[in-house]
Amino acid sequence: MLQVKNLYKSYETTKTRYPVLKGISFQVEPGEFVAVMGSSGSGKSTLLNCISCYIPYEKGNILLGEQDLGVLDKEGLAKVRNEKLGFVFQDFMLLDGLSVKENILIPRIIRESADQQAQDYADHLMELFGIIHVRDKYPAEISGGERQRTAVARSLINDPLLILADEPTGNLDSKSSRAVIEAFEKAKAEMNSTILMVTHDSFSASFCDRVILLRDGVIYKQLDRIGSQSSFQGYLLDTIKEMSEAESERDIR
Amino acid sequence: MTMKELEKKLRRQDYHQAKLYLFCNFISLMLITAYSIMMMAPTVLEVLPEGGDSRKQMVAIFVLAAVGCVAFTVYATALFFRKKSRQVGILMALGASKRQLAPMLYREVLVLGFASSVCGMAAGFPFVVLIWNGFRLLIVDSKEMVLNIRMECLGIPFVFLVLVMVLACVTAKRYLKRTDILDTIQEEHKNEPIKELGKWCGPAGIVILLAGAVIAYYAPEVYMKLTYSYGGAWLNLLYIPVFIGLYMMLLHTVVYGWHFKKRVSYKNLVSRSMMKFQGKQTVNNLLVSTVLLAGACFAAFYVPSMASGNFLNVRNRTYDYLYDYRADQKVPGREETENLAAEYGVSLKDWHEVPYISLGMDGMAYKEDGNKFYYEYEELETEGNFFSEEDFRELTGLSVTVEPGTYLAVSDNGDSIYSRQLTTDSTLFTNMVTEKTLEVRFADYVCCDFLAGGTGYYILNDADYKKIAEGITGEWSGRMTIFNADGKDDYRFAERLFHTLVSSFDKSCEIPYYYDRVQKISDNKKGDTYWGDMDMTGVNFEEPDSSAFRTLWRYMPKFRIMDKNDFICTYGVFLMVFIFIFLICITAACVICYTRCQTIAVNNRYVFDDLKKLGAPPAFLKQEIKRQCCTVIRTPAIIGILMMTLLYMMIMYGNDGKITVSEILALGICGVVILLIILLLYAVYCLTVKALAKELEIEG
Repeated sequence: MLQVKNLYKSYETTKTRYPVLKGISFQVEPGEFVAVMGSSGSGKSTLLNCISCYIPYEKGNILLGEQDLGVLDKEGLAKVRNEKLGFVFQDFMLLDGLSVKENILIPRIIRESADQQAQDYADHLMELFGIIHVRDKYPAEISGGERQRTAVARSLINDPLLILADEPTGNLDSKSSRAVIEAFEKAKAEMNSTILMVTHDSFSASFCDRVILLRDGVIYKQLDRIGSQSSFQGYLLDTIKEMSEAESERDIR
Repeated sequence: MTMKELEKKLRRQDYHQAKLYLFCNFISLMLITAYSIMMMAPTVLEVLPEGGDSRKQMVAIFVLAAVGCVAFTVYATALFFRKKSRQVGILMALGASKRQLAPMLYREVLVLGFASSVCGMAAGFPFVVLIWNGFRLLIVDSKEMVLNIRMECLGIPFVFLVLVMVLACVTAKRYLKRTDILDTIQEEHKNEPIKELGKWCGPAGIVILLAGAVIAYYAPEVYMKLTYSYGGAWLNLLYIPVFIGLYMMLLHTVVYGWHFKKRVSYKNLVSRSMMKFQGKQTVNNLLVSTVLLAGACFAAFYVPSMASGNFLNVRNRTYDYLYDYRADQKVPGREETENLAAEYGVSLKDWHEVPYISLGMDGMAYKEDGNKFYYEYEELETEGNFFSEEDFRELTGLSVTVEPGTYLAVSDNGDSIYSRQLTTDSTLFTNMVTEKTLEVRFADYVCCDFLAGGTGYYILNDADYKKIAEGITGEWSGRMTIFNADGKDDYRFAERLFHTLVSSFDKSCEIPYYYDRVQKISDNKKGDTYWGDMDMTGVNFEEPDSSAFRTLWRYMPKFRIMDKNDFICTYGVFLMVFIFIFLICITAACVICYTRCQTIAVNNRYVFDDLKKLGAPPAFLKQEIKRQCCTVIRTPAIIGILMMTLLYMMIMYGNDGKITVSEILALGICGVVILLIILLLYAVYCLTVKALAKELEIEG
């Protein structure tokens, strides 16, 4: 579904060049729910932004399905964003002037296919994620969890190949976070959605099938979920601790 | 739902966001239209002659106001897009292509820009009519103060409207061209920090500003003296350092503030950092509002300086009535005048009437050759009016002695501005009828206030006077009459006498004071056309009450009671034009300050929210708002007012090398005007603080 091969990206100021991604390679299979974790500055958000086609990268390939994103022009990238990708952002990114249902329909409106079928599908998604009761309300009138579930529904309206979620629970309390993760799980279970989620939160990541740990722009480890969610969370925390200690040792040296 | 329906729905929400954009466009177009209507009104064009200082000042301030309006339109456009950027960014992130977004964005800004601009243009008409008629109703109304609106005046606002549209489209295109979607989404919260130059920039700015102003002010004069040519408009470029200095001062104000005492460093930490991180636009805004406030002060000072000079001149006259006329005109004599006065219960005293002759004087004539100028000796260079020693004594009571072969020039003071206009290098006088000449040299000035100014008077030795006056006709001689009212004077008598006098003159006397008959004869002899015959404005016997007639006519009498009563009427158009300019500039400056304060607050809303969360009480938050608004309003006010006061003092001093009593009075009145401006700005400050507190939901 998604293949990232030897990806390089750096940021430049007038004087200095800061390499952020240093040859990252991995792949995500269809129907897989994958989390990317790492400390601040490890490059996880940059990785997501490159896959989202928000920022250009210098070297490497990103293949979405059979499509190499690096060869597309702006129009082509916009089409990929609209039809093949779904997005969930930390601060929801809903349009204040539109109702919940209208926000969900935006990708379809952009695709010029917001027909009755799309509307029915939007209703179905709202039902599925428990936000049908706020369908006509505006973002300012609903809770943070409801907003993020609206964003999840929006990300699914075009049946994308991949959902990209950037810290989707970062602005939410634990109850709302749980509801959003449940929404992802439902999307995976009922629609076989493929999800790549960047997160700091080990609890959210423990629901994933696999966690990619990034350190200094390279993959430190990939952990596959074995056993229950809680045991996976324990395993995850141990590995993160190990990674942090290794980082500290290196810093001292 | 289609893209069009989505656009419609979003636009409804945008109207709320676009309030400031609509307001700024509306105000700019209203001010520009009103100014253009006023500036191109036939009444104004007639009273403010082409090439005259007043016309130049009116146009210069218009340019400043227009630049100010452009600045705040640019700013409002950028602000609108900043607010809009989140929406555009989200749509881009969700896959909307440039092709889809472009028509939506262009349509929206064009609709908003066009609607607000057209409404502003339309509002310009009632605005100007309101001010003009308000002035006529409340201050002065004269026959000539009719507002004629010429449709040509819409040219400038139309250009401005096109500029607004182009600006909106260019900004929209810039946004659509962006590749970094996340940057577009976050645009609203991005800071615009300014490059810090160091703490030296403030004091250096003051020095550059002052030096630049003095150099630029005196440069044309120095250039003319050195090169005998006019420097042209490029010399105005010397004013650039003034703006650079001003920019540096404002930069210092925004980044560091002015502390003369060591303060607790964290006292202004929040407001200073807010201001600093919005520094780029804040400094630009302060620059524009400073220039506009300076323009407003310039216009506001114009009226008191003109009025005070006139007030003192009229009050200090030795005689109530003074007029001269050509000897060949049938002007009412003493008896007739006394009878006329009696009709109004006025009796006359101190009647003096003496003859004078008008002679041709030789000298270095000023000639122009394209941009260059030079002086060339001419036997008939200019016209001068001459009294004999005896007649001068009879008229003024001053005993003067003029050596044979010499002449005295009548001025109010040896150093005054009038003295410089008198001819003192003449060595040959010519009787324009007999062409007989008299060799002379300039001896000295003699002081007589009521004869100073105008066409210029001189005194000859009695014997020389008699010799040169021989054979002169009524066309080249005249009579000067002065008298006082015995007891209470009556305006009606003065007005009647004025109109009687005007009707006594024939068409050959329908000339302005600068019309030089000797120069005309000299030019005609050489086959040239005298410049005065090509461009004669304003003096028309049919309109003796017009400002042009009363300020320009060669034989305009000086009647104290009439000059006192009719001052506002005579200078009504001048007063109105400058009051109008003041209103335009002050309105634009206030709008800019208000807009800037709003922007700082809106852009820093999250800072206020964070402070609230940290437990900051409303009083603290309000204090922060006050500090922001205070800097934005106080800084341009102090600098603008100070700059104009210094400029006025420089002009006053530059006129005659001293500050006269009337100028001190003018400065006093300007002080009152400054106080009123400060009060007005304080009201704007209070309103702004209140509006921001409401916007940021700060109670108390």
